[in-house]
Amino acid sequence: MRKQFWIQAKDEIIKYTVSLLLVFAIGAIIILIQGGDPLESFAAVFQGALVGEGSIAKSIRWITPCIISGIAATIAFKSGVNNLGIDGQIYVGAFTAAMVGYAIALPTGLHIPLTILAAGLAGLLFALVPALLKLYFKVDEMITTLMFNYVAMLLTEYLALKFVGFDGSKSPEQVATPPILESAKLSLLFPPYQATTGIFIAIGLALIVYLLYRFTLKGYELKQVGENMLFSRQGGIRVKRTYVLIFLLSGLIAGICGAVEIMGPHGKFRPSFATNLGWDGIMIALIAKNNPIGVVIVGALWGLLKNGSFAMERMTDTNRLVITLIQSLFVLFVTVDYKAVWAKIVAWNEKRKMKAAEGASRHA
Amino acid sequence: METIIKLIDVTKRFGTLVANDKINMEIKAGTIHSIIGENGAGKSTLMNMLVGLLEPTSGEILLRGKRVNFKNANQANRNGIGMVHQEFMLFENLTVLENIILGHEKIKGKWFIDKEKARKEIEDICEKYHFPLPLDALIRDLPVAVQQQVEIVKVLYRGADIIILDEPTAVLTPQGIEGLFEALKFLVSKGKTILFITHKLKEVLAISDSITVLKNGRVTGHVLPQDVDEVKLASLMVGREVILTVDKPPKTIAEPVLEVRDLTVKGDDGLDKVKHVSFQVRKGEILGVAGVAGNGQRELVEALFGMRRIEQGAVQFHNRDVTQLGPREKRLLGIGYVPQDRLRLGSNTKAPIWENTLMGYHLTEPFRKKIVLDKKRALQYAEQVVQKFQVKTDSVNNNVRNLSGGNIQKVIVGREFLLDNKLLIIEDPTRGIDVGAIEFIWKQIVDIAKSGISVLLVSHELNEIISLSDRVMVLYGGEVAGIVEGEDINEQKLGLLMTGGQQGHA
Repeated sequence: MRKQFWIQAKDEIIKYTVSLLLVFAIGAIIILIQGGDPLESFAAVFQGALVGEGSIAKSIRWITPCIISGIAATIAFKSGVNNLGIDGQIYVGAFTAAMVGYAIALPTGLHIPLTILAAGLAGLLFALVPALLKLYFKVDEMITTLMFNYVAMLLTEYLALKFVGFDGSKSPEQVATPPILESAKLSLLFPPYQATTGIFIAIGLALIVYLLYRFTLKGYELKQVGENMLFSRQGGIRVKRTYVLIFLLSGLIAGICGAVEIMGPHGKFRPSFATNLGWDGIMIALIAKNNPIGVVIVGALWGLLKNGSFAMERMTDTNRLVITLIQSLFVLFVTVDYKAVWAKIVAWNEKRKMKAAEGASRHA
Repeated sequence: METIIKLIDVTKRFGTLVANDKINMEIKAGTIHSIIGENGAGKSTLMNMLVGLLEPTSGEILLRGKRVNFKNANQANRNGIGMVHQEFMLFENLTVLENIILGHEKIKGKWFIDKEKARKEIEDICEKYHFPLPLDALIRDLPVAVQQQVEIVKVLYRGADIIILDEPTAVLTPQGIEGLFEALKFLVSKGKTILFITHKLKEVLAISDSITVLKNGRVTGHVLPQDVDEVKLASLMVGREVILTVDKPPKTIAEPVLEVRDLTVKGDDGLDKVKHVSFQVRKGEILGVAGVAGNGQRELVEALFGMRRIEQGAVQFHNRDVTQLGPREKRLLGIGYVPQDRLRLGSNTKAPIWENTLMGYHLTEPFRKKIVLDKKRALQYAEQVVQKFQVKTDSVNNNVRNLSGGNIQKVIVGREFLLDNKLLIIEDPTRGIDVGAIEFIWKQIVDIAKSGISVLLVSHELNEIISLSDRVMVLYGGEVAGIVEGEDINEQKLGLLMTGGQQGHA
């Protein structure tokens, strides 16, 4: 049992190392093609992500939403719900957080939980629609959630523009809601840097989800529904109810992700503020194989790269998109079954040798 | 007679597992050669090597005296070896003709399929080998026995001299089996060679010219049918004496536990699949449900267990109306279910054994009201299932995926039988599992009925129905063709009812 575990762990480690080396090799080539210096660029990434208090604080700032978004994706995927609408749910949550944070005056101790809760509920309600469409009309949630992303982005932009976008400027890029009140702001860990106590919310959520699956009866049911819905149904699990619950939980967490962004680094809602966070979460969940603890680790790595890439863009001529490309390629590469590829190469090689030997014997 | 296939020391290893260990065998041209063995004995591995799906690790396969080493199924095909798989590989929405030529189309010009030429050729084959196939009918409109003929003609069309049939009788009625055997004998008389894979001993004895028995990847005997009987074959397969008859204690008529009245259920296609069915299951009784596959058994079971909508009629359980209840409520009332599809419905193959045994049990008192999962108790229960039902595994933490079919079935049966149920709905409990496990599961079913639990046994193995049931209800076209008991439970009577040959006293 133990031995088997280590063999598996070894395989995984080899897989991730190979993937990482491969993507960095590809990244280096791309940077070279653009006329940059890969070593210098990667050094800038490293420096921007890890060297100095400011860099670390900025990394934490990015790690926070990456983890929360990853958890939102994990909880959905683990139970077989293809929620691709995390991005949209983040937007809806963020907008709600901006509104509650701005419009209601409360003492900090109440204001923060209320804002987070309101944002979570908004994300939840936004996820309810695709969930019900799936349940009652069998509409594939992949499509509805995907489309709902646009609804969310454009709707929040419209609302911000139409009703509350009065921060004084007329330029469309400047459209934003008024800043939230101080009482709704999360505390900074290392002022003046943007890392907030949101990181504890992120880790707390990961831990709760981990404990839910590891130790509770509900977690058992959720796991079974994800792995085999028919089996769960005949075994007496209320599959439909569970399915909706998962959808809503995923939306709730995505909404919280939006809230933490607004209540921390942003301070107000701007259209298109979330630089692909929902998709980051989906990719993180994929790499972490839907393991909540894995999400924390991969989310941390992801945040570091994200922050490092911003730094690289500032310090070198290399485009930040190189890192995005590297991240996406990484997702692609970890899905490759390297063992099978290796077996194929070995078999092919042997065949070639055999042919060569045959040819040689014929000549002799 | 000439030897057409000869295996010399053929061995196949998967890692450390030896699936076939030095198999030696000779198959004579123009004979029916049966290969029997339990599940996991290595029958499939051996056949897959013959048809080119696997390559042997060592050893030689001689075809007509020449050494061959097929890399894929097409090569085997070209050398005249064809296989009819247990699960038919037919496209439901295409015609017979289209199915037969698929992948081996005759080409007209450069781009077009020459259907007429193909049709002519297939008609010739059908005539020569006596298969009256409706070439333009859609597969989905044909009965299973005819679909099987389509598979055989398909193989013949591709030029096979050697036809491998994998468990061909599993889907047929007694009459259908007779028809198949006639056809096989005719094929052999025309010079074809048949390899017949099965675990049904009676059939092997009825049709084979020679028999090879496999056990644990080795050949344990080459025998001729006239030299052996069922008991001898079974002991070669299992390695010990097997008793496949069960003692049914005479039952006194008790009060009904399940009462079904005028039940009508629709199938996936929206047509009525169960029509006005009424019956009772009494306390401690095994009611067998027989019928050719697709005559409403599946829909009936799904409706009774609450997984399919009941259009009309009523179901009463212990005098309580349970018509509209779902699986959860039914389980809470004490109805257990052993589904036919053990991999998709009966178990979660991705999860360890203990998570599988917990399903259903987790609704009961020690778990139900708690938030935290009592893992200790769950593990204990799993151990209990593994021990009492002799599941071969070294730990309940092993994944179900790694168990053999028979062992997975034991996990499922064990889980349902150890729960405190009052009625068990059991569907094909021994489908595709080996003789040893069949014997064991049959005994468990009889024992549990003895202890006063009612059993609704839906099975496509007539043998199983006859051996176990106190009464048998036969379904034909979604209706009750008859309910028989006592002396009337025999192959002829049931076979007739199953094909609609005689209206019984329903």
